[in-house]
Amino acid sequence: MCAYGQKPVSFNREIRPIMADTCFRCHGPDSGSRMAGLRLDVREEAIKPNRAGRAPIVPGKPDESQIVMRVFHASPARVMPPPSAHKELTAAQKETIRRWVAEGARYEGHWAYEPLKKADGSIDTLVAAKLGEVGLKRAAEADRRTLIRRVTLDLTGLPPTSAGVEAFLSDRSQDAYAKVVDRLLASKAHAEKMTMHWLDAVRYGDTSGFHGDNLYPSWPYRDYVLNSFLKNKSFDVFTREQLAGDLLPGAGVEQKVGAAFNRLNRVSAEGGLQPKEYLAKYGADRVRTVSAVWLGATLGCAECHDHKFDPLLARDFYSMKAFFADIKETGLVPDRGAKAWGSLLSLPTPEQKQKLDSIVARIDALKASMEKTAPKVDEAWKQRLLADYEAGKLAWKIQQPLSASSKNGATLKIYNTEEVDMSPYIGGILRQFRAPGNGLVIASGLNPDNETYTVTLKPSAGTWTSLGLEVVQDDNNPGNGVARGADRLCVTEVEAMVGGKKLAFSLATSNVSDPTWEQPARSALDGNSSTGWGVVTYGENKNPFLALRLKSPLVTTGKETITVVIRQDGEARKATIGRFRLALSSGTYSWPEGTEITAQRNKNGKNPGGLPDPVVKALRGDKEADAKSLEQHRLWLEADLSELARLEQERYYLEASIPKVLETERVEPAETRILPRGNFLDETGAIVEPAIPVKFGKLETAGRRATRLDLANWIVSKDNPMTARVQVNRIWRLFFGVGLSKVLDDLGSQSELPVNLDLLDTLAADFQSDWDVRRLVRSIVMSDTYRQSSAPSRQSVEKDPENRLLARQSRIRVDAEVVHDIALSASGLLTERFGGPSVRPYQPEGYLGALNFPKRDYSASRGKDLYARGLYAQWQRTFLHPSLMTFDAPSREECTVNRVNSNTPLQALVLLNDPIYVEAARVFAQKMLAEGGKTIDAQLDWAFSRALGRLASPEEKVVLRELYTKNLERFKGDPSSARQLLTVGDTPLSVKTKPEELAAAATITRAILNLHETITRN
Amino acid sequence: MQEVNLKRRAFLSKSCAGFGLAALGNLMGASDYRHHAAKAKRVIFLYQAGGPSHLETFDSKPKLAAMHGKPMPDSFTKGQQIAQLQGKPLICYGPQQNFARFGKSGQEICELFPKIGSVADDICIVKSMWTEQINHDPAHTIMNTGSIITGRPSMGSWIAYGLGAETEDLPGFVVMMSSGRGGQNQPIAARQWSAGMLPSKFQGVKFNSVGDPVLYVRNPPGVTRDMQKDSIDAVNRLNQKTYAAIEDPEIQTRIAQYEMAFRMQSSVPDLVDMSKEPTNVMEMYGAKPGDGSFASNCLLARRLAQRGVRFIQLYHRDWDHHGGVKDGIAAKSQEVDQATAALITDLKQRGMLDDTLVVWGGEFGRTPMSQGGDGRDHHIKGFSYFMAGGGIKPGVTYGATDDLGYAAVENPVSVHDFHATMLHLLGVNHLRMTVKYQGLDVRLTGVSGEVVKGILA
Repeated sequence: MCAYGQKPVSFNREIRPIMADTCFRCHGPDSGSRMAGLRLDVREEAIKPNRAGRAPIVPGKPDESQIVMRVFHASPARVMPPPSAHKELTAAQKETIRRWVAEGARYEGHWAYEPLKKADGSIDTLVAAKLGEVGLKRAAEADRRTLIRRVTLDLTGLPPTSAGVEAFLSDRSQDAYAKVVDRLLASKAHAEKMTMHWLDAVRYGDTSGFHGDNLYPSWPYRDYVLNSFLKNKSFDVFTREQLAGDLLPGAGVEQKVGAAFNRLNRVSAEGGLQPKEYLAKYGADRVRTVSAVWLGATLGCAECHDHKFDPLLARDFYSMKAFFADIKETGLVPDRGAKAWGSLLSLPTPEQKQKLDSIVARIDALKASMEKTAPKVDEAWKQRLLADYEAGKLAWKIQQPLSASSKNGATLKIYNTEEVDMSPYIGGILRQFRAPGNGLVIASGLNPDNETYTVTLKPSAGTWTSLGLEVVQDDNNPGNGVARGADRLCVTEVEAMVGGKKLAFSLATSNVSDPTWEQPARSALDGNSSTGWGVVTYGENKNPFLALRLKSPLVTTGKETITVVIRQDGEARKATIGRFRLALSSGTYSWPEGTEITAQRNKNGKNPGGLPDPVVKALRGDKEADAKSLEQHRLWLEADLSELARLEQERYYLEASIPKVLETERVEPAETRILPRGNFLDETGAIVEPAIPVKFGKLETAGRRATRLDLANWIVSKDNPMTARVQVNRIWRLFFGVGLSKVLDDLGSQSELPVNLDLLDTLAADFQSDWDVRRLVRSIVMSDTYRQSSAPSRQSVEKDPENRLLARQSRIRVDAEVVHDIALSASGLLTERFGGPSVRPYQPEGYLGALNFPKRDYSASRGKDLYARGLYAQWQRTFLHPSLMTFDAPSREECTVNRVNSNTPLQALVLLNDPIYVEAARVFAQKMLAEGGKTIDAQLDWAFSRALGRLASPEEKVVLRELYTKNLERFKGDPSSARQLLTVGDTPLSVKTKPEELAAAATITRAILNLHETITRN
Repeated sequence: MQEVNLKRRAFLSKSCAGFGLAALGNLMGASDYRHHAAKAKRVIFLYQAGGPSHLETFDSKPKLAAMHGKPMPDSFTKGQQIAQLQGKPLICYGPQQNFARFGKSGQEICELFPKIGSVADDICIVKSMWTEQINHDPAHTIMNTGSIITGRPSMGSWIAYGLGAETEDLPGFVVMMSSGRGGQNQPIAARQWSAGMLPSKFQGVKFNSVGDPVLYVRNPPGVTRDMQKDSIDAVNRLNQKTYAAIEDPEIQTRIAQYEMAFRMQSSVPDLVDMSKEPTNVMEMYGAKPGDGSFASNCLLARRLAQRGVRFIQLYHRDWDHHGGVKDGIAAKSQEVDQATAALITDLKQRGMLDDTLVVWGGEFGRTPMSQGGDGRDHHIKGFSYFMAGGGIKPGVTYGATDDLGYAAVENPVSVHDFHATMLHLLGVNHLRMTVKYQGLDVRLTGVSGEVVKGILA
């Protein structure tokens, strides 16, 4: 009974969505919740008569089919779905079911699992066919200005240059557009744009994601992705390298770095975590990510039970997880110290490797020869040392400074006898008390990025052999308890003068002797402001103490003033000392150690300080003492360590300059058990081997355990139709704002049947033939569908309000990184770079205040790094940069393949008030006045060209001229406010223009950068 | 009243553009999610982060005192999750502070919290809370979002989504933080106030009581309020011209958002400016402007509540007493006791307590067994919360843990039960506020949760 002219009911289009939403919960693939033993998702089952001879479906006979009778049933006790399900079928839906049964109840396999069906046609003809079905036609091509801005933003994330726009406008040749496209596709900026989206999918972050959320070495993986897109690596190779780069025959560095993909999951270092729980979490993350990114399947739903809607079993979840059981990892992944982050791959260049090997050899040789020629540790020497120690001769004499001043405006106050609040960590517990400062100098008030402290001392009469700088840790210091900001302390140079003469130092030693926590003490004496003694993180309980050995002893009579200059000019901002003391020692060199700890220990006069603990133990004949420590200490006292110190320092900086990346290190696979209801405590589940979901088949491995490489090969095999569909669908979204199927990470039954399945399959089949990403992208942007105007016709809006069928192009707000890049590019601030470590744009102070382990603050990069593309911003997962977050950049704590596109007042606040946009407006204005022409109208055209790819209209010029004039008057009347506005940001102010004119011009460029059109791809 | 609703609907509909269809339908009309009469209009959640020990706050356990120093009986701990005490001997650790009875209701509260004691007749103490996650990060996640799966909306976002805000100048969901002075300030991630798959406008906005109250709310140096207004007006005039040419509805939304941003630039600093509060009020809370303390945040919470913010969440960190719980609790009580009571009293005096739900508690409790000789480890099987106002039965204690304070045995209240109850008081049936996602009807209460009728007034 088919109504005349009506198409037959399509199972996938019309019946499956109804069943998936309404029936499958009790009559679907999940045997655990199946009611009445009845399943409707499989045809053989659905047509089987029950014991009473009644069948749910009798094909062709709706009046005899139970499902039809039940959905139309009048009684609430018998109707399906039952009232308790809180779901109702509409009259239309019931009729559709009836008609479908009448037409023979034809089932179709879920579209995403069916083989690819290539249709005859191009993108344009296939789109036109769909449009034709509803009486719509594609729009005319967009005007050239719109078109070039659109394709440049989409392919590169940057606006077109004015020159590029003009060239395209005046190029009347047939392939003018194609030339633009090819130029853009070959560019590094295109590789950067494609990388941006891929990083969302693989949940790339720079930090561990849980708890302390500390930085881990992942950025070389980003370089891998950038280079892969730059050289248009085929997608199958790209896939294999990331899932199993380490397993590829002849795997080189590039493949191993690609395999870091497996280590990009969040990890935790929280004390007291259950290792098995976290290993389960890490495995689950990998299953979710791989299935979302490559298969478009929500296999993650099957962690605790069989999938409720798709043919995926809980067993399949664990079989997928088992592929990754050969990756070396622990549940608790330490985030500091020598074992931080587990397996790491070091990436030296051949030169670096050679240099490092040579330095290490020289250090070893030097140490060996020093040990050979070292004087023996004899009893007499030991007695002398012990006697001196116990007599207090090695103790540091804390100095009471006379004056303390700063170069850049910080307030330094000296507390000698005066009491002051103290809150140090002692014994792992925060203590708070009030005590006399005893020579304590505290910095407060203005907090400049860099500082120099100058302190004068007047020591008593004596012969001094070392100067000591004790940094006093205190909970009030936001930078790891020692610094006034950042996450570290950095002292670039310490100098001392007496009577106008500079004192020479021969050696620097500190008490923070963990190389992963500290940068070399020698850097404070090397006369090089780009190196500094730095403490990055350290054990609570210590005051970092720097001991500087004088080349020749300093004799004082009590009348001399020593001036100590502490320079802190490091790269990290506000990595300046919060509280410190200065001390001197005489006689045998004193070992650096915190004076407060010493005072505590010395309560009974037995431990006056100046020797390392192991040495004290050894001297006192402690059974557990380390005899070697005495030899080391004698060397420290008597040998010339300057060459060794120099080599160690060189080694440190060389090693620090060698990039490292998280490594996927293969080990014997751990056992993988099915966890009932995902409960990691329940070890009763069966052990599973790596396998693809049962529904999708079986890997042929001739009995050997399947590996990640087998998985990768299956993912990109010709027999697997899902992968190509998923990639095409995601890439389609980049150019049209929405995929052909809306939910990009789920092509399962709960997702959306593609609006144009023919088109999706045709593109997928084509993509699968050579996995050439660039060719796919090119075919999309070259199509008329892509190039058409985004101006909607009334019919198009009425018939297709969400523009799924594409009778027009869409208008889309650009992604977070692109919002940033447009402003920087238009203003001329953008730094050219490709690849490299992550950078840190300006960020409001205290934004990381909720973090701990360690407590720390943020330090923005310097110079060009501040103006790198948003793609390179340091991705702090628990506190993503607020400007990025406000424009919907995901934290990447989880794989994210789709970004929401919101429109909020917080975005307005960012574009108006975030210093980077204010600086960009100022620099933009500087450039505008210098290059934009002589009249304000010409300048406005120039600025509009750069930001919007067009000229300003006369009405627009009126508005902006008014704004300029108004503000010019204001700034003339208040020149200090002009100066304030113009000094936002680190770019030096150009002095060529009058400040009030430049400031007024900056308000115009600021308005341009805030236009809706500026951040919209039309 | 009708007018306000229309304005809100129009505002919501204007800002709908760009959202997925699923949420679109749900955005039209906040009243869709009011399923029955509400008692509470707003929530102030005083979130004690780190895991306050119930044994030194609200759950007096004399039997635990009697067992002090003896091994913890196996029957309690066998097969249970355990955090840092894994592999260590489990020894009973008696309550380290004394309890007293307060008010006409005679509720038992640790005597270090006398101010909270003074409002005992207004509060309902729930001693039978329990949760599933024993580490801070995931425990916060489940308390905030009802799920340990990352990416779900937080309770504040659900409520802002379902009920909207009663203000056009401020976000519907505000978060503030204060740190304790004990040195155990556990980190809290921004995802704890994320809107998840709900439209991002419902995410929590963090307000700071020190420095810039909201990120980027202050004008750049050198830009006055007038200048800012002129700039925004110019931008919007230009945007309007573009709209006239191409009629993209997103432009209208953006114009509205710029206007809202400008209003926020004065309403927000105005809000955190406590200098206008009378001295006696400041003293009642024990707050000093700009000190960033819990007390200041409590006072700000009242101001936010007055201005129509729907969900106000205050985090006070530093309850993680793995060591030194006796002194630690004393230190915390000095930081929160007075201000907590002041907030409740202040709300009551202004006639706002009846329709404001106040909640006090953290992500879990602490073990009856000792850690390191003087502390307690994380504990999930039983802990205490208290609630006041907004339809909660005052002056009662609900539920109980066993003799040693280990497990909730009488009327256990799960996180989902708690969420269901909170939503119920706001007029929302937790089963019916859902969003379609990955085939699920996602809701705050996951797949469980029952309204705790016993604590409803």
